[in-house]
Amino acid sequence: MNDADVFGIAGLTLWIGAIATVAVVPIAVAVAWSLVRHDFPGKSLVRALVTLPMVLPPVAVGLGLLWLLGRRGPFSALWEATGIDLVFTAGAAAVAAAVVGFPLATRACEQAFASVDVRYEQVARSLGLSPSATFFRVTLPLAKRGVLYGALLCFTRAIGEFGATAVVAGIIPGRTETLALGIWSRVQLGENSAAAVLGAVSFALGLAAMWAGERWLRSDPP
Amino acid sequence: MRAWIAGILLLSAPGAHGAELVAAAAVSLREPLSAIAREFEAENPGTTVFLTFGASSTLAAQARAGAPLDVFLSADPSLVERLETEGLAAPASTRDFARNRLVVVAAPELETPLEEPTDLLSPGIRRIAMPAAAVPVGRYAREWLAERELLAAIEERVVQTEHARATLAAVSAGNADAAVVYATDARTTRGAKVAFPVPRSEQPPIVYTATQLTQADPAANAFLDFLSGDRARRHLEAAGFEAP
Repeated sequence: MNDADVFGIAGLTLWIGAIATVAVVPIAVAVAWSLVRHDFPGKSLVRALVTLPMVLPPVAVGLGLLWLLGRRGPFSALWEATGIDLVFTAGAAAVAAAVVGFPLATRACEQAFASVDVRYEQVARSLGLSPSATFFRVTLPLAKRGVLYGALLCFTRAIGEFGATAVVAGIIPGRTETLALGIWSRVQLGENSAAAVLGAVSFALGLAAMWAGERWLRSDPP
Repeated sequence: MRAWIAGILLLSAPGAHGAELVAAAAVSLREPLSAIAREFEAENPGTTVFLTFGASSTLAAQARAGAPLDVFLSADPSLVERLETEGLAAPASTRDFARNRLVVVAAPELETPLEEPTDLLSPGIRRIAMPAAAVPVGRYAREWLAERELLAAIEERVVQTEHARATLAAVSAGNADAAVVYATDARTTRGAKVAFPVPRSEQPPIVYTATQLTQADPAANAFLDFLSGDRARRHLEAAGFEAP
């Protein structure tokens, strides 16, 4: 395996992780905020559903996505009409990464919002700030570290995604082969040293990301 | 939501220049097909061939699930026939291009003698690597073992592997004691040793078939013609494949 392959695989992995994170975080923020600040019927069920992709076997998530995104699934007419054909593309890998990263981002955002004192929001409202201005100018800045930490967790989970991705994106070198998929296919081929190179790259990326997170996003004393 | 759509469009956008072919092939074709694809690219500037290898059965299932594949090179013609019946492969493009044979391989440190088929029953052979019967080499190996009336006796010692190369890798690493693999695969490793070849008269017919998927890039046809040509044949023969 040459260096260009390693860089290609690592680059694709980071790119997929970044797309997944950018897509997931706004949704995670919205869901987490509603869960923390609002009461509604079925809240515990929503919480359970949010966590589900984290506890389901990733291949089961992949199977579900294959059905939802595929040509024979419930949205086939929509995919047909819009020309979106994601199955077995890097786009499908990004969707899989986003789905498994979502619970981590949401849980971290929930904790972040829960730690924001409601009184700051009440003061802002009493001084005439609209609810959305209160959220963006008071709540979100106070929860910033936690939200960013959630984004980082989502990103690291996304770049390590294997099971769901293998099912819905396949392993097409140069197209959908991420680090995790590349390690698996090389182990299957008995190319253990090439697998170890990709394993080392995964280790370095994971360590760098989590270290950065611990250093800059969790340095607050509790 | 906008980020979602932008990201998805970026990731699924086709390449801006030249033809791009995705060829899904039986993993046993790995080395010769990689060489053939490089020569084809050199002869057709601007064309890029992406190769994806796996069990032919897995690749056929991916084609069925909508994988954007242009050509499919199967170690089992019946998988291609099924895709044709389903309208996913173009029958006019289908051609046989190589043949293979089976050999029995042994782990490098195996102490039990393994010289003839009945030796597979000896207690020293504790694990036999073999893919599921849906995988071509798994089916061929089972057919031969069943013919020799050995299959039932060894069934409980079978450790299931993913595809032909993974079967060989399991034996090379010593994780399995023996396996029935393709003769061409056995040549690619210095780990597993050929214990004995399956006798000519008992060999199941192993034919490699290539086809173009119905929504393939127009360059797929040229690639299939190249695959049937003399230069490709030399690569296949150098790897130990026989003419169809």
